[in-house]
Amino acid sequence: MSASEVLRLDGHVVDSLVLAKVLDLVVDSGATYRILEMEIGTTRRDPSHVRIEVTASSEESLEALFASLHVHGANREDAADALLVPAERDGVLPEGFYATTNLPTRVRLGGRWTSVESPEMDCAVVVEPDSEGAAASARTVPMHRVRRGDMVVVGSGGVRVDRPTPRGCGAGAGAGNDEDEDEDGDEGELGSLTGGGSFGFMTSDVSSEKPKALSVERVAGALRSARSRRERRSGRQEDRSPGGGADRGADRGADRVLVVAGPAVVHTGAAPALAGLVRDGWVQVLFAGNGFATHDVESAVLGTSLGVPLAGGRPAEHGHANHLRVINELRRYGSIEAAVQAGWLASGVLYECVKAGVPFVLAGSIRDDGPIPDVVTDTLQAADAMREQVAGVGVAIMLASTLHAIATGNLLPAGVETFCVDINQAVVTKLADRGSHQAMGIVTDVGLFVSELAAAVGALPVPSPT
Amino acid sequence: MSEDGARPLAWGRRYLVCSPEHFTVAYEINPYMHVEVRPDPERAMSEHQALVSTLEEAGAQVERLCPVEGLPDLVFCANAGLVDCAAGGPKRFVPSRFRHPERQGESAHDTAWFAENGFEVAELPGDEPFEGAGDALPFQASGVATSPAPGPVMLAGYKMRSSISAHAAISELLGAPVRSVELVDERYYHVDLVFCPLDGQHALVAPQGLDRYGCKVVEALVPEPVWLEEDEAASFCANSVVVGRVVVMPACSPRLGRLLEKAGFEVAVTPVGEFQKAGGGVRCLTLALDTPLSSHPAGDSGNHAQRYRTSRN
Repeated sequence: MSASEVLRLDGHVVDSLVLAKVLDLVVDSGATYRILEMEIGTTRRDPSHVRIEVTASSEESLEALFASLHVHGANREDAADALLVPAERDGVLPEGFYATTNLPTRVRLGGRWTSVESPEMDCAVVVEPDSEGAAASARTVPMHRVRRGDMVVVGSGGVRVDRPTPRGCGAGAGAGNDEDEDEDGDEGELGSLTGGGSFGFMTSDVSSEKPKALSVERVAGALRSARSRRERRSGRQEDRSPGGGADRGADRGADRVLVVAGPAVVHTGAAPALAGLVRDGWVQVLFAGNGFATHDVESAVLGTSLGVPLAGGRPAEHGHANHLRVINELRRYGSIEAAVQAGWLASGVLYECVKAGVPFVLAGSIRDDGPIPDVVTDTLQAADAMREQVAGVGVAIMLASTLHAIATGNLLPAGVETFCVDINQAVVTKLADRGSHQAMGIVTDVGLFVSELAAAVGALPVPSPT
Repeated sequence: MSEDGARPLAWGRRYLVCSPEHFTVAYEINPYMHVEVRPDPERAMSEHQALVSTLEEAGAQVERLCPVEGLPDLVFCANAGLVDCAAGGPKRFVPSRFRHPERQGESAHDTAWFAENGFEVAELPGDEPFEGAGDALPFQASGVATSPAPGPVMLAGYKMRSSISAHAAISELLGAPVRSVELVDERYYHVDLVFCPLDGQHALVAPQGLDRYGCKVVEALVPEPVWLEEDEAASFCANSVVVGRVVVMPACSPRLGRLLEKAGFEVAVTPVGEFQKAGGGVRCLTLALDTPLSSHPAGDSGNHAQRYRTSRN
């Protein structure tokens, strides 16, 4: 992550070439600058005043640079604490609230820069003031969850956003945010949709004319490095407490893999490959909707997806009702897990999730049939459920999904390696244009892609019994 | 070099000195100081008396600051502060703010002398270190026929002893433009070890103590700089004072002597080897009491800064 801050330089800095020297030092250090404001004295006695925004590759290198610039009279612009205003009502933010990006953000509280927990776009920042023995903390809070009296950051003063280093521009540019930076270097080679770095909308650059085998290998590489991070962390935990292998908790590193799946995953015949990925431990959490779940179960139980036999391809007689019958049965069982326990559901992606203990969140939408009992129909509750599962995610793969992909993208910090696979270029672009610019777009058929991905990591597909 | 248009310095006829009764090396705050290499008191005294005589023979008036026991570096009067005797204004003294605690006790004595001698004492705002005329020397280029002479510009050194932030405060206080140059070699820890204004055309410059930016600043300021060789700079040739056309120097190489004579100067060498053990030369031992810093030449009025603002997005 790169870091930016504004410097001030005052005095006879132009004729003394101090400005030139400071800018040279900035560039020589590998940082970049932008002159925000320059007030040049018109007489020989008038001092000049310059404000320079400096961007370095990391907070550490910015600190080192600033330390070296201080002697030349270039100082950090005096920063003020973030302005805090209490929320007047539940679910209503104060006017002028600071709206977050998905980038790592810090707020200045009591003269100290405090990291905002759980970076998430389109939220507010709520500050817990320091109390006895505890320093002030800050966290992102979606609008509906703000409570009366919460101290909300207003305006952008005292807020600092660290910009992502464009991927491929130096070591350690990957998603890993713990000390276990990926060792095989895959992350550093990923292309981003923008390549530009800063947070913004409508800045994507996706093309269908990119070699797919390379894309598959990149995603496979991300899965492998996430797995090796999990294994290293798990090894460390075992070292600390023999026998203790609990993987979920507050201490999770960013090494979980999230898959967001749309119904086309099933329609295109990719479900067995995805089921294999789940069974073999390549996926740690699944987000989907009623449609994907329905067709996954339909294909597992009846061998059709939206009434079309996956083996034959021709619509089955009265197949249009297949998905309704499946939903009805699931409602009879009460939940997917119950259907698995009863032996009625014995294959498919969700079956493997239940068997492997992989959590899934099914978020409903207005056109859902049924829905399946597991589907969370209250969108706020669904988003909250997804929000809880996003913790510790280091890799996100969006498969042929628009609404759920964008909803997930909204929840993910910018540091999460995100891949968006869709046959429709517009979907891939749209995800980026909604701010998830860290996403790498792969425009291709999802059925072929998932099968190749499973093969690349060595996960055997789990064929449907029919 | 030529003598054409070389206007002698408008200052340098009156100096403050402090007799070395209590001079010694009692601490180490520069690379020359070694407490085990103490100066010889008698030799120091005779060198100092010879310096004063040389100054007086050259036509300068010499004032004396009382030595104080326990303040061995009080002899280096150049660091007492900045003196401004611009015509039409009050005589002002801006006391230094010494970087090292060892020298901070000097300020009270310096200030007392100036207050007793009719100077208005102006304290420097802020708390950044600044070591007086040792780190800020005025240069006023001779005018040419087509344009009037600009006012004096302070060439000020920073990093070793003075902070660049203090330069801005000095400029504001005295109303004089400042050119800040970084001192990059600890052997040349004050700007008066690398720069000595000679007249309106010339100045001695030791590029060894400056970086490329500093050298460019000097080139832009001084029409004909006299660049010192390594050995000349190391023997404190730049730490000289000028009385009219007489350059009073702690040492001078034959090469430099020829250059100065060609430029119309007379060289008077007065060795100060005992004081060089504490890192000081002729300039360090004197403080000019007649420097006009805050001149306001016609046509340099107005206080309207031009503002360029770039949009953030």
